[in-house]
Amino acid sequence: MSHPQEPLSSILRPLSTLSPPSNSRTWQSAPHPNLPLVATACSDRTVRVYSLTSFTLLHTITGGHKRSVRSVSWKPGVKGQSVLATGSFDASAGIWRRDERGVEEDFTRRRAGGDGYEDEEEDDDDYQFSCILDGHESEIKSLSWSPSGQFLATCSRDKSVWIWEELEDDNFETIAVLQEHDGDVKCVAWHPEEDLLASASYDDTVRLYKEDADDWVQVAQLNNHGMTVWWVEFEGSGMTKKNFCAQRDGLTDEQARHIELLERSGPRLATCSDDCTVRIWRREPREGAEKTSANTGIPSIIRSMAIDEDWIQEAVLPQQHERAIYSVSWSQKTGLIASAGSDGKILIYKERWKVQASNGVTAEDQDTPMTEKSPLTEWVVIAELFSAHDVFEINHVCWAARSDKGRRNDDDEVILSTGDDGEVKVWVLEEGSVIPET
Amino acid sequence: MDLDKDNANPTILNPSDLPSRHRESAVKKREDGGTGLFHDLIPQYTYLSDPFEQPVSESDSDDDSVEDIDEQEIYDLISSISDPEHPLSLGSLAVVNLPDIHILPPTSPYSSISTVLVEVTPTITHCSLATVIGLGVRVRLEQALPPRFRIDVRIKKGTHSTDEAVNKQLGDKERVAAALENGTLMGVLRKMLSTCE
Amino acid sequence: MSDIRQYLLDYDKNKKEASAVAQQSATRLQNHDLKLLTVIEELGEYFNSEDGSIRSKTMSYLAEVLAFVPPKVLSLQQRNLLCDFILSRIEDSEGLGNCAKALIALEERGKWDDERVTKVMDTFLTHTHPLRQYKQQSERYPVLQLIDTIMAKYRDALRTSHDSVPDFMTRFISYFDGEKDPRNLMVVFSILRVPMTEWNIVTDAQELFDAVFNYFPITFRPPPDDPYGITAQDLKDRLRDCIASTADFAPYAFPALLDKLDSTSMNTKRDVLQTISTAVVEYGPRTISLYSITLWDSLKFEILNVQEEDLAQEALNALAAVAKTLSTGTSGTLNAYLRPIIKECNEHLEDAPTKQSQAAARILHKIADVSPDVFNIIVSGVLPNIFLLFQTADTMAKRRGLLEVLVQLIQANVDVYGDWRTIGSAGEQAPGNAFTQFQGETLEIMLNGLENAPAKEVSFRLVCLDGLLQLSKARQILSDEDVGKIIQIFHAIIIHEDPVGKDEVKEAAINGLVEIAHQKPQVVVDKAFPAFMAQLPDVDADGSKGYVPVLEAFAKLGSEEDIFDTVILRLKNKFSSVVKQNASSTYTVALLSALLYALKKGASKLQQSPDASRYYQDIALPLLQQASSSDESHPKVFDDETTLDLVGRICNIVVRSQSTKEQNKVSAELYTLFRHAPYTEFPPFSVEPSSEQNKLMIVSTHLLSSLRRDTTLPCDVPGLISALVEYNQQPELSSAIRAASLRQISLLINKFITTPALKTCMDPLLASPVDLFNVERLNPSRIRIIFACLKGLLLRNSTSLNTLYPQLLSFLSHKNYGITVAHGFAGLLQPDDLLTKENHCQISGLHKQKTFTLIVPNIVQAFRNASPGTKPNYLIALSGVLKWMPFEIVVEEVGQLVPLLLQSLDLKGEELVTEAAIGTLTYVLQQRPKTIEEHAGSLISRLLNSSASGTKELPGAPPRVRVEALKCLMQVPEKLKQEVVLPYRRQVCKRLTKALDDRKREVRWQAVRCRAKWLDVDEVGEDD
Repeated sequence: MSHPQEPLSSILRPLSTLSPPSNSRTWQSAPHPNLPLVATACSDRTVRVYSLTSFTLLHTITGGHKRSVRSVSWKPGVKGQSVLATGSFDASAGIWRRDERGVEEDFTRRRAGGDGYEDEEEDDDDYQFSCILDGHESEIKSLSWSPSGQFLATCSRDKSVWIWEELEDDNFETIAVLQEHDGDVKCVAWHPEEDLLASASYDDTVRLYKEDADDWVQVAQLNNHGMTVWWVEFEGSGMTKKNFCAQRDGLTDEQARHIELLERSGPRLATCSDDCTVRIWRREPREGAEKTSANTGIPSIIRSMAIDEDWIQEAVLPQQHERAIYSVSWSQKTGLIASAGSDGKILIYKERWKVQASNGVTAEDQDTPMTEKSPLTEWVVIAELFSAHDVFEINHVCWAARSDKGRRNDDDEVILSTGDDGEVKVWVLEEGSVIPET
Repeated sequence: MDLDKDNANPTILNPSDLPSRHRESAVKKREDGGTGLFHDLIPQYTYLSDPFEQPVSESDSDDDSVEDIDEQEIYDLISSISDPEHPLSLGSLAVVNLPDIHILPPTSPYSSISTVLVEVTPTITHCSLATVIGLGVRVRLEQALPPRFRIDVRIKKGTHSTDEAVNKQLGDKERVAAALENGTLMGVLRKMLSTCE
Repeated sequence: MSDIRQYLLDYDKNKKEASAVAQQSATRLQNHDLKLLTVIEELGEYFNSEDGSIRSKTMSYLAEVLAFVPPKVLSLQQRNLLCDFILSRIEDSEGLGNCAKALIALEERGKWDDERVTKVMDTFLTHTHPLRQYKQQSERYPVLQLIDTIMAKYRDALRTSHDSVPDFMTRFISYFDGEKDPRNLMVVFSILRVPMTEWNIVTDAQELFDAVFNYFPITFRPPPDDPYGITAQDLKDRLRDCIASTADFAPYAFPALLDKLDSTSMNTKRDVLQTISTAVVEYGPRTISLYSITLWDSLKFEILNVQEEDLAQEALNALAAVAKTLSTGTSGTLNAYLRPIIKECNEHLEDAPTKQSQAAARILHKIADVSPDVFNIIVSGVLPNIFLLFQTADTMAKRRGLLEVLVQLIQANVDVYGDWRTIGSAGEQAPGNAFTQFQGETLEIMLNGLENAPAKEVSFRLVCLDGLLQLSKARQILSDEDVGKIIQIFHAIIIHEDPVGKDEVKEAAINGLVEIAHQKPQVVVDKAFPAFMAQLPDVDADGSKGYVPVLEAFAKLGSEEDIFDTVILRLKNKFSSVVKQNASSTYTVALLSALLYALKKGASKLQQSPDASRYYQDIALPLLQQASSSDESHPKVFDDETTLDLVGRICNIVVRSQSTKEQNKVSAELYTLFRHAPYTEFPPFSVEPSSEQNKLMIVSTHLLSSLRRDTTLPCDVPGLISALVEYNQQPELSSAIRAASLRQISLLINKFITTPALKTCMDPLLASPVDLFNVERLNPSRIRIIFACLKGLLLRNSTSLNTLYPQLLSFLSHKNYGITVAHGFAGLLQPDDLLTKENHCQISGLHKQKTFTLIVPNIVQAFRNASPGTKPNYLIALSGVLKWMPFEIVVEEVGQLVPLLLQSLDLKGEELVTEAAIGTLTYVLQQRPKTIEEHAGSLISRLLNSSASGTKELPGAPPRVRVEALKCLMQVPEKLKQEVVLPYRRQVCKRLTKALDDRKREVRWQAVRCRAKWLDVDEVGEDD
């Protein structure tokens, strides 16, 4: 691993720790698409819903699962109510609903005794269990709603990825069971614009799927990771308007062409792995049919070439993690990437135009088969935080809109980290560099 | 439970040959080579009868002297685990061996995370229980070591037909976590760990 | 109204009444007021009733009447008539039980002839076969009783019908088919056992066998209130006796049993193995010889692949039983049995050390124990192979494995032929011992192994050492010279070896030497002693402590009575020469310690020995004189307080068992110590602080403690006490001397003042001039004296305590000395090595109880109203008292003590108090968990606090306390109810991770154990 010579330009400042914390390991946290809420999946079989305004516990969802809740996902684009999907080691997924009309003002309200135990009174402002999705043979490891909210993808140790379609409320139909992987499927993620699904696996690969003549099929396979791929996440939509590309003045033609290429390619893909790397993948835009897919790696006799996609590894982020990286996340606002994992570190990376002088890490010195000339951009670490959760492992990291009183404008973001110590911590990224305190 | 044994007749080491720290006598070895036979001829506690003399008990004086967690201590923690198919300890079956335990210090001055690497040697190369044994070791250490330790349990190279596969499983935090929520498996593990003192 | 009518009326209402009626009819029969014939006639109509129950009750009436009629009332002819009549009723499906009862009653009233017996039996077999058709247990039971009686009294009659009537046996056996009731089965088994054991049943053997074996393995859980108290074991045993009853069963029994041995139920297997052992003994050599191999072939697996240890044991017993049975037969059959065993075991030895080689060793040992013949065959069959394998073995581990087997066989040898002191199971004139021819090679291998194997081969050397030890024990195996060789190696190890690992070898060598000394004292004296003495220099100029292990070994040997005197003598001589050479006090202390240790071990010997005074002359007196001598010859070592303490203790042991007469001599010199001057010139009477003389107070104390109560002291007791009180008030005394002289006060008050005299003795102390308990004059030395006095008093349970304790307690609120007094309490009940029964002290069995009742409730009371500043004093005092209080006393008050104990855990800088409190709480937890339940939360969090090591800034409790806290916390989930502890589980497990990282290994280890217990808490029923 190589540290950047230049001093880090930013620091992660602790803003708060969601309280009360869980007494046992927390796995993953999902910010609500439009409300200042975050749901956290806990190994004590509960889901804890915290306010991002007051940073306190609002609800503890219990009684649904017989084992660890491993993963949670909010259904996007629903009005008047919140819909939460939960995936558990008990091999089932649960759907929970809560009426949100006119309860926004309650968010700062504390709630007594949410601490992990079942609170008896079944008041309607609680999350109501609405249905259960059975089918997987073993632990569900991750689940995710498609941007449209039409599909829900789940994946499991049984090596399969399932796609469910919600016909009407609480009537789910399995529309696809994808069994391409040779090992546990660790994570599923949807493309922000298309119905394109990505899955990461214990078999070290990432696979992408699309619907082809109402039949879901694998359209690409990404092989470069050397060990289990823990997390996969797509870049936000139209990021070239927001990230380092936004400033268009004084760009070289080359750089301009690159931006145009990015825009044709669409949102990129970030993956992280046991092999301690974070990798960025870009879809090759189609120039006619002459380009056939080299690396989907599956016999394509049966179906039309047209569907296959060509994803190439664009970059490997600077390798400053010493152990498995469990989670990686793109900022929808700035295009920054956060990563965290077993070594208890949180890293923030920034992409920028490659300056000749710089000696930041680029794709060059990585194992990518570089067909084209050396890249125009490079990723650099701008913040590195040790022991974010004391000595404990960090299972998940993600960006969320900031909504406490410290918030200055709409684009303010916080970073949420979820750890083995049962704590969900809230961080803000700030300018300025410090020597990390030992 | 009734496992069909992979190796019904393993070689057995004698406890006396196993490396161990003499736990009972926290007192360090007496330099005079004696066994302290005469130690209590003059009772120690007479000071008590004098309210004006508060004792300085030996163990406390050196309280600040730190005894670090070392390989031997790790060994003592796991060698007493019993093998799932024999009523024998992993130590006496040479499944765990002191030289195959390594403690790696933090890699950065800013980090306090150390790593424990334990390489286990199954009694025979195709032992179907290698995973269970490895899991037992990992669970024992996760329960007995402070969280600043990361625990890596591996099958010793070339001692097992499918060591890579097993290693990958033992290294997978999520799988281990799920395994610990499985009652039957947990039953087996608890039986294995029950012999740990 | 006829009796029968009355009887029938009462029968259902009140059985007692009914019986009374029957009895009354009986009496009338007896007095001839009633004719038997009339009775029968009256019964007639009821016997013909439609209602079966009426018929049955009628027979019940008859049965009862007969049972009440005294013997001789009914004539033989009447009885026969009745008998035929009853038998005729048997065809009736109702009232069978009552018929049987009636017949039993009849039989009791007069013996039957064979013909009648046969008839009775035959009637039953013809009309009621099989018995199970009668559903009521109460119907069948009397029948079985009847048959049992017949079997008991008229065996031959039945036997004749067995011999003459071809199908009799078959019908007889099948008659009991399908009996299920345990009470009945007990009878059935005992009935069937008769033909099994006594008749010739070869042809019916299988049927008979099946009849009982169908029930194997028999299990039944008696109902909670079983009136008959039949246990499953009773049934098992009776069934087992049946199976083992006759050799004729062997062809069916062994296959059937061995088949059942494959069962997965441990209980079945256990039953099978025990049954086999019993059967083997009963069936006898001729039969067993046919099955011995088969048995071996299946039984061995239980030992080679142990499932349950006790099953392996049972299997071993069975194998041994076979050998034992066969060794009562021909040598041929015995050999045939042992040959395959020896062969297989030899094979297992080839890959020693393995589970199976160890199993083989167990088998060989167990079987070899059976008899000299067996032992000899096995030894000659196995040892050559062991030696061969040993020579060709490529690893130490393998050699060890082989020797382990060898040692087992040597032990077998000791079992069979005995050791030097006792004769073995083989008895006086046992046949030749085949082991003798291997003795040489065995000895050589083991000697060689122990001597030349590298020190790190601990287990290998331990085996050799053990083997040599067993060899040296084995009766008439080794010559004294060879034993000498062994001894030499042992003491060489003790003397020269540097400790390795846990130093097991050296320890084993020392203990081995002691064991040999028990067998061959003289050889040890001749061989080991010179070597040891050679290791003890006259002067330890170089300051090396090499002599310590030697001294330890030497002292241990003292416990072997035959060489006790020699040990003492040698040590004593060594000591005097060492003293002459002005050796260092460390060395002399070591020597004296060894001497003291040996004397303690041999104390019993001191008492018995007729001339105990000899030890006084030889040991005590010289020491005393040297110690007290003040001329220039006075050895410096005796100025050392520890040395003097040891001298004192040695003298104490020697003197205390002497007669009062003897003791008076010593007593006279209590303070003068043979210095030919009036005692007033010495402490405590002369007070010259600086003087070396003060140190001799230590010796005097030990002498004083050794004296009987009726010895005459050199001066009057009150005077002596006040002298001591004076003496103790001088500031400069060293703590050793002060402790010594204080104890003299305790000793005097306890031993040398009669209860009536007590008051007069104490008064001058309590009142002026001394005025001990005067608050104004309270000061350190006076506090010490107070406790010294109390110590003497409380042991003899003096009534004065009633007034003294309250005064003492009042001091706890003293602003300066309150806390000091508080600490003093820990000393009150603390065991004291001088104030003991052996030292003739008065020790009341109730003294702890008394102190508890006089002090503890008052402390609890006073604590409530105490000012915050002084509260800790009460907690300290309390824990001090409880520290030595037996729990059965504490338990009375435990309810109100718990809160105080918990608060004691918060005391800062009072580690002893905290530790004691934790100790008591642990007891409460174990003995009276209920009382602590309500405090669970506060207990848990306080223990967690005490278990934390803290930081440089604010250090936590010391390691020892942390360990105790964790030990106590570990008990909480075991002793308190699940629902009480469950809520704390996660919190405890989380906070304990800190203790897992403690600076101290010992603490971490406890934390691990404690946390494991807590992690297990909700595991129960965790999963679905």
